[in-house]
Amino acid sequence: MSSDSFTPRHAWLPRWMTSEHPLPWLLPAGALMVVFGIFPLYKAIETSLYKRNAATRKMIFDPTHNWSKVFLDERVWNALLNTLFYTGVALLFQLVLGMLIALLLDSDRKGYGILRAMMTLPLVIPPAVTAMMFLLMLNGSFGVLSRGIIELGLLPPGFSILGNASTAMAGVLLAEIWQWTPFMVLIMLAGLRSLPKEPFEAAAIDGASAFQVFFKLTLPMMSKVIAIAVLIRGIDLLRAFDYVKVMTDSGPGTATETLTSYAGRIYFGNADFPYASTIALLTLVLVIMVSTLFMRIFKVKL
Amino acid sequence: MSFRDHDKKTFIADTARAYAERRISKRDFMKKMSLAGVGFSAFAAGLLGNTRPYRGNLGLLGTEALAQDASVTQWLKDVGAPFKGTKIRYTSEATPPTVVLDKLKNEFTEPTGIEVEIEIVPLEQVLAKATQDVQGQLGTYDLYYLDQSWVATFAQDTVDPVAYYKEKPDLAMPGFDFDDFSKPLVSGLAEYEGKWAGIPFDIPIFMLMYRKDILEKHGIAVPTSPAEFTAAIQKITEAEKANGMFGTGLQAKSGHYSLNCDWTQMVWNEGGSIFGADKKFKGNDEAGVAGLKLYQEWIKNAPPESLNSTWDGQFQMMAAGQCALVQSWDEFFPGLDADDSKVKGLWMPAKPLVGKPLRPLSEVGFGEIPNYAHQGGSILGLSKYSKNIDPAWLFMQWACSKDIMTRCTLLGGFAPMRISSFRDPRVKEKAVVGPGTTRHLEMVEWIIDNNIASEPDMPLWAGFSNNEIPVNLGKLLTGQDFNGDAKACMDTIAASIDAAVAESGL
Repeated sequence: MSSDSFTPRHAWLPRWMTSEHPLPWLLPAGALMVVFGIFPLYKAIETSLYKRNAATRKMIFDPTHNWSKVFLDERVWNALLNTLFYTGVALLFQLVLGMLIALLLDSDRKGYGILRAMMTLPLVIPPAVTAMMFLLMLNGSFGVLSRGIIELGLLPPGFSILGNASTAMAGVLLAEIWQWTPFMVLIMLAGLRSLPKEPFEAAAIDGASAFQVFFKLTLPMMSKVIAIAVLIRGIDLLRAFDYVKVMTDSGPGTATETLTSYAGRIYFGNADFPYASTIALLTLVLVIMVSTLFMRIFKVKL
Repeated sequence: MSFRDHDKKTFIADTARAYAERRISKRDFMKKMSLAGVGFSAFAAGLLGNTRPYRGNLGLLGTEALAQDASVTQWLKDVGAPFKGTKIRYTSEATPPTVVLDKLKNEFTEPTGIEVEIEIVPLEQVLAKATQDVQGQLGTYDLYYLDQSWVATFAQDTVDPVAYYKEKPDLAMPGFDFDDFSKPLVSGLAEYEGKWAGIPFDIPIFMLMYRKDILEKHGIAVPTSPAEFTAAIQKITEAEKANGMFGTGLQAKSGHYSLNCDWTQMVWNEGGSIFGADKKFKGNDEAGVAGLKLYQEWIKNAPPESLNSTWDGQFQMMAAGQCALVQSWDEFFPGLDADDSKVKGLWMPAKPLVGKPLRPLSEVGFGEIPNYAHQGGSILGLSKYSKNIDPAWLFMQWACSKDIMTRCTLLGGFAPMRISSFRDPRVKEKAVVGPGTTRHLEMVEWIIDNNIASEPDMPLWAGFSNNEIPVNLGKLLTGQDFNGDAKACMDTIAASIDAAVAESGL
C-alpha cells in the first residue's frame, strides 16, 4: 500500500489515533486496570492497616491489629476450611461429571448439537437466581427436591436440608455443581474435539479397549485442558459467595461460611471495614498461593 | 403467549417487574417463570432478600376516596417551586409503607417538580449503604430508612426534624403535628439521647396470632403466657403433625436478624434483658438462659424449615396452614386475609404473651426497654450530609404527614404511626376480613400503648444483632456447636460482646 493511498484515508482521525506507538492503545486498558484493580487493592491494603472503632467511627493506624486478629479468629479458620472443602468437592464433581457428559456428547450424530447447545442453559441464569431456585427446591416443607429425598426415605419428613448444620453444605454444593458442571462440559468438549484422530485410530487398530483409550490416550492428551479448566473454576470457587449468601447466609451457625461470606458479614453487618478488608486480602493470598502451586505442579502455562 | 417470541432475559426481567409492581398475580408470575425455566415461585420468598410480606390494596390507588387533598397539593406547589428539577434519593427495605409510598410519590413529584428515587433493597444492603454514606459523609442519600436497631448508630448523622420544623418555618408543612405520633413510638423508636433522629415511619410489632378453628378443634383457650403457649403448641403438634401442621412457626434463620428478634422476646418474657445497668451482656444470666431453653422447646414444635426461615418464611408457614399459633409481626395480618390466602379469616389477633415480671429500666443498659412486644419499627431520617436537604425535608414531611400515613395504612393494612390514623373512619371501616384488612389494628394500638419493647440503643447493636448473636444462636439451634447447651451458647456470646463493648469504650 502506498503512502499516498494511506494518508487521505486516515486524515480525519486525530494524530494519536494513527500513531504506531503502543502507549495510546495501552492507556485505556491501563487506566481500567488502575481504577478497578490496582487502586482498590491499594485501598484494601491501606484499610487493613487501620483499626475502626464502631462507636466513634474513628480509624486509628494500627498495622498489626487486624493481621494478628485474623490468625487468631476461629471463624476465619472455620471459613478457610469450608472454602477449601467447598472448592475441592465442587471441583471434583464438576470435573468428573463434566468429563463424563462431555464424552457422552462428543458425537457427530444427529441431535447431539442441540444437546451440546442445551448445556449452556444453566450458565445463562444468574447464580443468585439459581441459588433462589435451589433454596425453594430444598425447602423442607414444599421443596420438590426435599420431597423427593424424603419420599425415598433418605430423610425424615419435613427435614430442612439447608437448616441443618450437617447437610447445609451439601445443599449449597448441589446448586453450585448443577450450574457450573456445564461449563466443564463445554471446555472438555472443546478439548476432545481438538484432539488429533490418528492416535485413536491406531489404538483401535491395535484393539485397545475403551478404558485403555480413555486412560492411556484421552486423559493424558487432555491434561492441559483439564488443568486450565480446574484453574479457572478453582479461582472462582475460592471466592464462593452468591450461593452461600442466598441459600444459607453462611449458616446454620457457620456451617457454610466461606472466607468471602465472612468478610461480607463483617463488612455489611458489623461495618468493620478494616477487618473485612483483611479477610478479603487473605482470600486473595489464598487464591494466588493455590493457583501458583497448581500451575507449578501441573506445569500450566497461560 | 409463546415464549419463543421473547428474549429469555427480557421476559424474566419484565415478568419480575410486573409482579413487583403488582400488575400480575403470583399465580401468573409463577406460570410465566416456569415458562422461562426459572422454577416456581422464586420470587415468593423475596429474591436476594427476605422481603416483608405485603398484600395490600394497591388497586385502590387513584380512587376518589384516596385522592390527595387539594390544599396539600397547593402547598406542595408553592413551597416546592424553587426546587423544581432536583432529585432526592433514599434507600429502603421493601417494607409495606415503602412499597405504598413508592406508588404515591408522583403526588409529590407532580406539584413540586422534585423527583424522588427510592432504592428498594434487602435490609442488610440498606444498612451497608447507609453506613458507607455516613462514614464518608457523602450525601449520596438524602433520607435514610433506619431500622430501630440502628437508630443509635445513625442519630449523629441526621437532622432533628422537630428542630428543623421550627428552624425553617417557610418550609414547614401546615398542621404537621408532631404530637400526633404515638408517644411510645417516639420514645422507643425515634428519640435518642433527647433528640429525634427521624420521624417514625413503620411499626411492625409482635402480637399473638392464632388459628381460631384449630384452637376450637382441640379445645385450647387462647394462651396468655409463654407457659400456656408452650403447652398449646405441644398439644397441637402432637395432634396435627401427621397432617403437616405444627403448633407454631418461627423465624429462626441462623445468622439473620429475625432470629435475634425472636430471641430478645424470649429473654424479656423471662424477666431478663440483653444488657444490665453495668453495660454487661445479660443474656447468659438465669432469665436469659431460661428464655433460650424455652425457645429450643418451641423449635421442636415448629416446622423444621423454621431454622432456615426469616419473617417471610414464617409468614408463608402461617399462610400455608402449617402452624396454628404464632407470636410475631402484626403486619402479617393483612396478607393472611388476602383473597388468595388459604387461611382467609381464620387467623385472629390477640394480646402478646405475658411472661414473668419485666426487668426494671433501672437495671438495664443502653436504653433497652424490656416488654412483651418486640417492635421492629423504623424511622425516616434526614441526612445531615444531604446536598438537597430542603427538598428532602419537604418530601419527608409529606411522606410522614397525616394524610399520607393514613392512606398508606388504607392501602397496606399495616399499623399507622399517628394516633389520628388509628381514629380515621376509613381505617375503622376496613376492620373486616379481606385484603388489606385493618381488623387487627385496634389490638396493635393497644400493644403499642402498653407493651412496646425496644432493643438497646447503642452504636454496636447493628453488628451484634446481625452477627454475633444470631450466628451463635444458629450454631446452638441447628446442632453445629454447644451440644444443645443454652448456657454455653450465651456465655460465648457474652464473652464476645463484652469484649467488643469494652474495646469501643462505650
